Amino acid sequence: MNAWNELVERCARRRNEKIGPLSDEAYAELVLAVRQNPVDFADEAPEQALLVLARALDAWRASRERDDLLADKDYEAEHARRLAALRTECERAASIDPDCLDAHVTALLASELDPDPLLSGLLALERAHAKDEPPAGDAWDDVFYRPHLRLRAAVARTCLDGARYRMAAAAAESVTSVAPTDPLGARHTHMLACARLEDEDGLGVLEARWAGRESAWSHLARVLLLYKLNRLTAAQRALRGFDRLCAGGAYALLRPAYVEPYLPDRPEAAPCSFEEVVMAEREVEPLITDVPELIPWCQGHDWLVASARAFAERNDLDW
Amino acid sequence: MAHDSRREDYLRMSLRFALSLDDGDPARAAREFATFGRRLARDRDSLPQSDADRAFSLVSLAADLIDYRLPFADDAQAETLVARGRDLLSEALSLDPDCHDATRMLFSLETPSAEERSRFLREGAEKVRVACESARDRLCDALDEARRPLGASVAMRPWWRWLADLAECALICGRNRESIDAAEQLLASDPHDLSDVRFTLAYALAKLEDAPGLARLAERYPTFAAPRAADDAWIQISQIALAHKSCRFADARQLTERLLATYPGSAGVLVRQAEIPDGRFARIRVPAYGEDELVVAVSEGVVLLMEGMERTGRGVLGAWVARTVSELSGEKGSEGASAS
Repeated sequence: MNAWNELVERCARRRNEKIGPLSDEAYAELVLAVRQNPVDFADEAPEQALLVLARALDAWRASRERDDLLADKDYEAEHARRLAALRTECERAASIDPDCLDAHVTALLASELDPDPLLSGLLALERAHAKDEPPAGDAWDDVFYRPHLRLRAAVARTCLDGARYRMAAAAAESVTSVAPTDPLGARHTHMLACARLEDEDGLGVLEARWAGRESAWSHLARVLLLYKLNRLTAAQRALRGFDRLCAGGAYALLRPAYVEPYLPDRPEAAPCSFEEVVMAEREVEPLITDVPELIPWCQGHDWLVASARAFAERNDLDW
Repeated sequence: MAHDSRREDYLRMSLRFALSLDDGDPARAAREFATFGRRLARDRDSLPQSDADRAFSLVSLAADLIDYRLPFADDAQAETLVARGRDLLSEALSLDPDCHDATRMLFSLETPSAEERSRFLREGAEKVRVACESARDRLCDALDEARRPLGASVAMRPWWRWLADLAECALICGRNRESIDAAEQLLASDPHDLSDVRFTLAYALAKLEDAPGLARLAERYPTFAAPRAADDAWIQISQIALAHKSCRFADARQLTERLLATYPGSAGVLVRQAEIPDGRFARIRVPAYGEDELVVAVSEGVVLLMEGMERTGRGVLGAWVARTVSELSGEKGSEGASAS
């Protein structure tokens, strides 16, 4: 979530409503002015709350940059401390504006709950902040509606973590059906759910719909589906494709890394970059329990192991 | 139901014995049959038997050791039991290279990987079917009308066990559609479901969150001619899983209460969720609705229970079931005693 960009857009829209409607040029000028100094324009409670959240998310991200220097025990303490700090700020934001959905969602996601209590918390937020109708057109274009989409995408991911694959698919679909550009990447969750449910037609439809926008998730979903359907030659080809097209794919698969909770949504990463692969691998993890011999099967391919090792050596990673 | 190797050995020998009797003299046949049981127990070698019958009898001994004694053995005994079981199975194969049970059990003992086991079973399946069908046809040609159904059943059982094993291995490997296909193929061949493969089928359907499929399975129970209602632990755990997976928590809780009522006094099994080794001959035989049956169902059910990112490692459904059963029954489980 780029909270600052959204803050700027919201402040500009609110000001436009008050003094406008402005011409396109004047509105562009206004946006520039807000961008220079959003704090001055955040004069209503919703924007003031968002400002608190934007700063808290910045502080949370900044505090993570020191992680590499910490020993495991210190890391855990630091991790707990910064999540607690973020939750406190979210509560502060919510006290400024009780309707600040992003603050509620972020606080909940930062509580590191198990999937069951997390999901009931998220669903309770949906009920409490229900909207009648999504805006016409791509709902993502309405900056005031985005928190609802983020919440829905979090519901989808939490369902996947909680082994609720049909619910995950339905929640993800409800995001992409109103926000077809899918900047939140709900389609990724949807694809993994289809793979887990061995729903070849479902995954095929998604692949066709998002053709040309392949991702670490789409490649992994294909590998998983073909493996589960026992089409091992095709699965091996898909695995090779995943390794070739996703930076460090083999390495991420064989050496899964800890991934911080998404607060409040999945961080942006270039398609098929190593950053994306690491996240996709984390999201696939709950699905691996279902296929306990997938990783040993992957490890049985010498070229995959060689590729992982080469990636580790090139990037100075542990092997 | 379930496969009983000793009983099957008895059936094989009695069919062979029947074939050896003179059709023309029913009174003599009846007299001879009166002594059959005693001769089988005390003087087996005096009875007519083929190498295939001898091989099966060794399989039956191996099944006793591996499926029923091994789980209770300490490490030192275990080694001896496994070695003895292997010897029996190898001997069975030297007597009858077409002893599919021995082939399957030996491979299973030597291959810890479910992936490799399921590949082996898949690749061998057609051959075993053809062999069993031709053995059935040969046997039925020789048997009189009255004994033909039993002869056909006995001849086909190695193939049924092969398919049941394939369905279970596929389920463990996360190949739920393959598991369903194997189970349906078995049910088509054996509508009486001697193998209780419908239990495995219920889990595979639950894994695919196929609620209509599971409902249809419950409706099909009477057609399987299995003398049981659709209230075994497998279908009930599958129903609980589907309710939980769709966040129908009140339903899931009610279904859990029903499961506890079906298996009275077995709450601890659902809290502990221990894994036990699968039977190598077939799913182990335990009394219906007894605590042991729930143990077997829960052990096979880890594929459902352990899924999801849950902190204690029990899985999302596993943790929910343990918690709910504790609340409902007052049974305390050692927290975090996972079924690893």
